[in-house]
Parts: sequence; structure tokens; C-alpha cells
Amino acid sequence: MWIIIFIELITFGIALIAFVYNGQEEPDMFSESRKLLNINYGAINTLFLLTSGYFMAKFVGAVKGRKIKMATSYLRYSIIGGLLFLGLKGIEYYEKLEAGYTIDFNTFFTYYWMLTLFHVIHVVVGLVILGSLLIGIRRNKKELLLEDVEASAAFWHMCDLIWLLLFPIIYLLN
Amino acid sequence: MKKNTLLSIWIVLVALTIITALITKIELKNTAIVILFLAFIKIISVVFYFMELKKAHSFWKFLFVTFLTSQMLVIIWLVF
Repeated sequence: MWIIIFIELITFGIALIAFVYNGQEEPDMFSESRKLLNINYGAINTLFLLTSGYFMAKFVGAVKGRKIKMATSYLRYSIIGGLLFLGLKGIEYYEKLEAGYTIDFNTFFTYYWMLTLFHVIHVVVGLVILGSLLIGIRRNKKELLLEDVEASAAFWHMCDLIWLLLFPIIYLLN
Repeated sequence: MKKNTLLSIWIVLVALTIITALITKIELKNTAIVILFLAFIKIISVVFYFMELKKAHSFWKFLFVTFLTSQMLVIIWLVF
């Protein structure tokens, strides 16, 4: 799982370096476009993912301690954090589309849509994994594999990490 | 890991996120470096405590910190 995490981070890392490089070639356009993004949405979404990650870490700890009931609650809170992230992201996307800032509006928004949508796909996949884990716990409380739990948690934390890279570089770095 | 360590890390992460958002509203000379440094701290905190890299082999710690530092340095180099 760590190898997958490294590959993902390297992929996003290269894309972000390309984003910053292009930003230096067209600084005025990137600066003006960045002002069209809502920093509050980005910051609140960061809080949603960090809180979700916190509950995920608590979930893994509870599974290790065989506190299954508590673990189920933590997993639920973690999923809610992910859903809140997607909800706010949906509002943000709706506003951008309404204002006409689509993927072909300019280079900045091409990067914005590609990078954030790619991240959203990861979050959706992560939520599917966490959802199936929750169903698995409910059905089979005693045969919960720690390896599955840790791999799912690592994938979910990876979504945090990617966002922690994307948010400052896309929204804040002027 | 101590019972309250995760909660402490979460509080620090929330505080750093709020500070990051506020810093962008202030006109500073080196805002970009501060923002990237705070992002670096947040990522390291998540990886070491939430993902428990702290307990992993030194090789993985070294690899991750080297990767992240290189990434941040390249971006700072491009920005300035």
C-alpha cells in the first residue's frame, strides 16, 4: 500500500510542479483566476478531511483493541467527513460551472478541474471502500482482517495527503 | 500511542489550517514559503501520527521526508 501511496503522491506532485511552472509563464492570468476560487470552501473541506482522517486513525486503534462497537462509530464519522467533503465540493463545482469557469476556460481552470476531479475520484473510491468495510463489520463482526482495515485506512489517509498538497498550491500560492 | 496524542495532533492540524487561511489575507513578502511550510508540517503530522509511519522502518520515513522536502523545494524554486 505504501508503494501505491508513493506512486499517487509522485503523480500529483509532478502535476502540481507542472501547474506552478505554467503559473510562472502566465502569472497574471493564474493570479486573477486564483482569486475566483473560494478559499473558505477549500479551508472547510480541509477541516472535513482532517477530521475524517482523525476518526479513521481512531477506528484503526479501536479495531486493534477489539472494540468493534466503538470502531463502527468511528468509521461512520469518518465516512460522514468524506461525504461532507463531497457535498461542499459539489457546491463549489456548481458555482464554477454556473459562472462559466469550465475546464476549457483557461490553463488555470484546466489544471483546477483535472487535479481536483482526479482527487474527488479518489475520495469516491475511498468512500466505497469504507462503505464496504462498514457493511463487512456489521455482517461479520469477529472476522475483521486487520490487514484490510489498515489498507483501507491508508488509502483514505492518502486522500487527505493529496488534498493537503492541492489546497495550498492551487488555492493559496499567489 | 497515547490516548490523547491523536486528538492533540488533530487540534494542531485544525489550528494550522485556520492559520494558513488567515495568512493569505495578510500581505507578506514570503507568504508562499510560510504556506508551503505549514502544508509540510500538516502532511508530516498526518503521515507520522494518523498513518503511523512513526512506527515504520527508518527507510520509509527517510524516503517520505526526502520526497516531500524535494517536492516543496522544487515548488519554492519555481515560485521565486
